[in-house]
Amino acid sequence: MGHSDAASPASAAAARDAKKKRGNRTAAKLKQSKLETRREQWLSGQGKDGKETKVAASPTGAGSNAGSPILASPHPPLPRRRADTRSRGSDPDDREEAGATGLEVGSSDLDSPMHSPGSDKSQGNGGARRKGFSGNGGGPSLSSGSSVWSSSRSVSDAEEEDAGCPEDDSEVLDDWEAAADALYDDDSHCHQSSVPTTPTPAPTNAAPANAARPEPIRSKTRAWAPDDIFRPQSLPSITKQASFPASIGNCWAGMGMGAAQQGILSLPLPCPICYEDLDPTDSSFRPCPCGFHLCLFCHKKILEADGRCPGCRKQYNTVSAAEGGGGPKATTVGTGQEMANIAPVRLSRSCSMGPRY
Amino acid sequence: MVDVSRVQKELTECNRDREVSGVSIALHDGANISHLTGTIAGPADSPYEGGTFVIDIRLPGGYPFEPPKMQFVTKVWHPNISSQNGAICLDILKDQWSPALTLKTALLSLQALLSSPAPDDPQDAVVAQQYLRDYPTFAATARYWTEAFAKSTSTGMEEKVQKLVEMGFPEDLVRSTLKSVDGDENMALEKLCSG
Repeated sequence: MGHSDAASPASAAAARDAKKKRGNRTAAKLKQSKLETRREQWLSGQGKDGKETKVAASPTGAGSNAGSPILASPHPPLPRRRADTRSRGSDPDDREEAGATGLEVGSSDLDSPMHSPGSDKSQGNGGARRKGFSGNGGGPSLSSGSSVWSSSRSVSDAEEEDAGCPEDDSEVLDDWEAAADALYDDDSHCHQSSVPTTPTPAPTNAAPANAARPEPIRSKTRAWAPDDIFRPQSLPSITKQASFPASIGNCWAGMGMGAAQQGILSLPLPCPICYEDLDPTDSSFRPCPCGFHLCLFCHKKILEADGRCPGCRKQYNTVSAAEGGGGPKATTVGTGQEMANIAPVRLSRSCSMGPRY
Repeated sequence: MVDVSRVQKELTECNRDREVSGVSIALHDGANISHLTGTIAGPADSPYEGGTFVIDIRLPGGYPFEPPKMQFVTKVWHPNISSQNGAICLDILKDQWSPALTLKTALLSLQALLSSPAPDDPQDAVVAQQYLRDYPTFAATARYWTEAFAKSTSTGMEEKVQKLVEMGFPEDLVRSTLKSVDGDENMALEKLCSG
């Protein structure tokens, strides 16, 4: 613990600096408390190395600060790592790898302000946020060393995502936090409820923790795998999360589920005229009772020319006038013969416009 | 302007099953996508059986909203095809064209036209008369024309080269031209004459 205590002032200063760069993080505290609870649940379930782990985990500042020297200050991370290794007594090879990836993460974090620690008053938030955001992120020592390996990979994943749209960093970050939170909730839920017999809570060995811990995080990336037993429970409930922003919910449902399933079930049909894929508007656009599909562009071109349906060669005007027989036609009949010459044109326009909007 | 992407897709689509359908399309010259060359196999159980008929295809700017202009390059004896210039009388290439049709369907329609002529709506009145009054003679003539003009690929390459060289074209040019039109003697001759 001496190491982390010594490190904390420096990192706090660095974090204060970094605060200026960071946007508004109101949700961080909430997440922190959630994460605290979860961490404690997990640790108590884990029950390994009882006191030392708990001591490392429970004081938020100390625990999460332990990760920040790597990120914000030039302190060498290795001593801390060794302490970790000693306290956990887990595989040194794993540790080596974790250290390497941790360094990598740290350096990239320095480049992007969004990953740097939150603020001085919420040092724990910084760590917790990263955890929530990336499924443990840069604060590897705060909950368990065993999750470092998998989490550092998910950090890089997240960074790839973020790199795609750097201009709305904060939004993306929020979404990611929310998503990670939701997943985390679900996963812990699943672990407690549906898989109680797995060796996860094995108290003496770190290896089961290694095996079990990455799984919830990885389930995020292979969410659609057909053999994923968590899929039915966890995925739909993402959109139902109360704390979930509507936008990301829609995004998830629309992009992930909707597009994927639609793509598999029904490929977009091409317009038979221009061979371009029909968009949803085009797909529901049937200007002729013969049911011939075509895109709006081609329909317009045809109307500008001879105006016959490519499918049945009948005039769009007459067929649509006959088709749209409702109210306007009745009045045409009522008004008499002279109107009948004008009416079809008017009708056809209204009918052909109808399905578009 | 011609819808280039559609034409390219049509070419790919058409040439995918050329062995089965008996029709194929290729660019006439490498650069211009609005000038194509189609080939159709003479339909079985018709006087045109065994022949390969070359059709010159020109796509108007309004294609596919306007019909492609098609003309037989290979000489054909058929009531609905001019024996003089290969002009085709087929409704779908005129007023009954639909943008939903494709070059492939148009060529298949030509193939169908070969197997079932419509002498009541002739392009070539002489052939139509013969078809109506003396079908055996018509069939024999059609078969002879097929042998003479639509089966040039069956004769040896060297013979064709020899033939064209005798006409006064340089041998290397004749060979390259013949190669570019897949050994079609008539096509090669036309190409040599035009360029």
